[in-house]
Amino acid sequence: MEITKKDVALAGKLSKMRVSDAEVSLYEEQLKALFQWVDELAGVDTEDVHLTNVNLSAHIRPDIPCTDPALAQTLRDAFPEQEESCAKVKKVL
Amino acid sequence: MTIDQIITAISSGEKTAEQITRECLQKIAEVNPSLNALVEVFEQDALAQAKAVDAKKARGEKLGPLAGVPVAIKDNILYKGHKATCCSKMLENYTASYTSTVVEKLIAADAVIIARANMDEFAMGSSNQTSVYGPVKNPVDTTRVPGGSSGGSAAAVAAGMVPLALGTDTGGSVRQPAGFCGIVGIKPGYGRISRYGVIAFASSADQVGILAGNVKDAALALEVLAGKDVHDSTSLEAPVPQYTQQFTSDLKGIKVGLPKGFLDGLNEEIKTQVEKAATNLKTRGAELVEVDVPHAKYAAPCYYIITSAEASSNLARYDGIRYGYSDRGAADLNTSYESSRAPFGVEVKKRIIIGSYALTAERYEACFLKAMKVREKIREDFKKVFEQVDVLLTPTSPTTAFKLGQQDKNPLSLYLADLYTCQGNIGGLAGISVPFGKDKQGLPIGVQFYGPILKEEKILNAAHHLEQSI
Repeated sequence: MEITKKDVALAGKLSKMRVSDAEVSLYEEQLKALFQWVDELAGVDTEDVHLTNVNLSAHIRPDIPCTDPALAQTLRDAFPEQEESCAKVKKVL
Repeated sequence: MTIDQIITAISSGEKTAEQITRECLQKIAEVNPSLNALVEVFEQDALAQAKAVDAKKARGEKLGPLAGVPVAIKDNILYKGHKATCCSKMLENYTASYTSTVVEKLIAADAVIIARANMDEFAMGSSNQTSVYGPVKNPVDTTRVPGGSSGGSAAAVAAGMVPLALGTDTGGSVRQPAGFCGIVGIKPGYGRISRYGVIAFASSADQVGILAGNVKDAALALEVLAGKDVHDSTSLEAPVPQYTQQFTSDLKGIKVGLPKGFLDGLNEEIKTQVEKAATNLKTRGAELVEVDVPHAKYAAPCYYIITSAEASSNLARYDGIRYGYSDRGAADLNTSYESSRAPFGVEVKKRIIIGSYALTAERYEACFLKAMKVREKIREDFKKVFEQVDVLLTPTSPTTAFKLGQQDKNPLSLYLADLYTCQGNIGGLAGISVPFGKDKQGLPIGVQFYGPILKEEKILNAAHHLEQSI
């Protein structure tokens, strides 16, 4: 698997991390060695493996639509300023 | 003193819990400055807990199973009101707002929480050289690493600062340092101990582990810590045996598996010790059986892809808004994210990048999905093997403790330090490292037993017999 400086920089960007040119060079070299090792996995026959997905609904609270008009109004009143279809909230940063 | 000796001394009135705690504090003051194993000592809290144990005894109340036993906890385990930094600049000001289940259980068992232990940053490493507090030194030879990532916990026990320490083990981070420092380290099977209040690295592999001076002490601690926790949906509902009562008088009827090819190309001295361990077990009645685990050789690359992918997701929360260092002066949101995530160290950044890369649309199938599928093959191998044998015997590590800084230039060789241990995390197995002999330089050699999930008593029993055979 070929790893380039561009790949490292992209992964850094996706990770919301600032990666300097020196770090890109360092990681490129180290990732090349690691992914050569990972390439060995390609030779393993996994045709018969069928991964099962975890039933997330067992662990995550389902979205419950708000059907109480009074609560909906209270929430709307808490954010009176609107812009297009969005409620304006206090700046956090 | 061992845990067993402390319990006897306190119950007989030979010593008080306060005396035991003060002895540990004295030892810490003498030894820790040269080893850097503990990053904070909770002196006042520990003395208060010890005095409470003594008062309980004076009132004639029944003491808990770890009464008066000082314990160090790894710096990624939460203890309300105390710092938990993962030895990272990212969390240098983080104070736990609640207590982890493992620490709750220790306190309920009347143990004394005495210190937090050094570790590799965010538990990523095999040498305890990536901590923001600086490296830990091996008590056996201070020019060498103690192993990692629970290197501080292992060094603290090995140096006699504490009789018991908690670590976490995602790819060998309890067993490998235990092997390097000449003590016992157990990582129970996935789900045996709650992870509620343990800062996540890779959720499908992380487990809390125990570091102790001998197998019986590790078994006593596991009895306290194991069990279902309603706060951790991955913890398993199953009775917890009295592990110390499961030790058998010999190993008759026990089948010990020797995986084919595991010793090929291994350091001769370690190979010799593993072979000698097998012979000692046979002398005690065990039957040795050669077994085939054909996909185990792929565990390490699977481990680095899967755990890095999980880390890239778990550590996304350190963005300056939800958790961690926050750059309040950034001009916009993206700059704020980037500068708030800057405190991550080189190794942590690298693993996040590996994980993000393996999860990109282009690489997902060939990297992450493939690694997940190969993991299933490895698990299937182990499942079949444990239909034939009770435990597996392997080396803990391919080397003994190496010099500080020695592996810095070649990180891949550092990753190979986890070669034998990460199989247990990829397979979800129970594993224990027990010291068995030394190399020519006097450095401890660890050997490892693997057992199936929820069968920790089997590996403890085998390790106990090996320990007794020395």
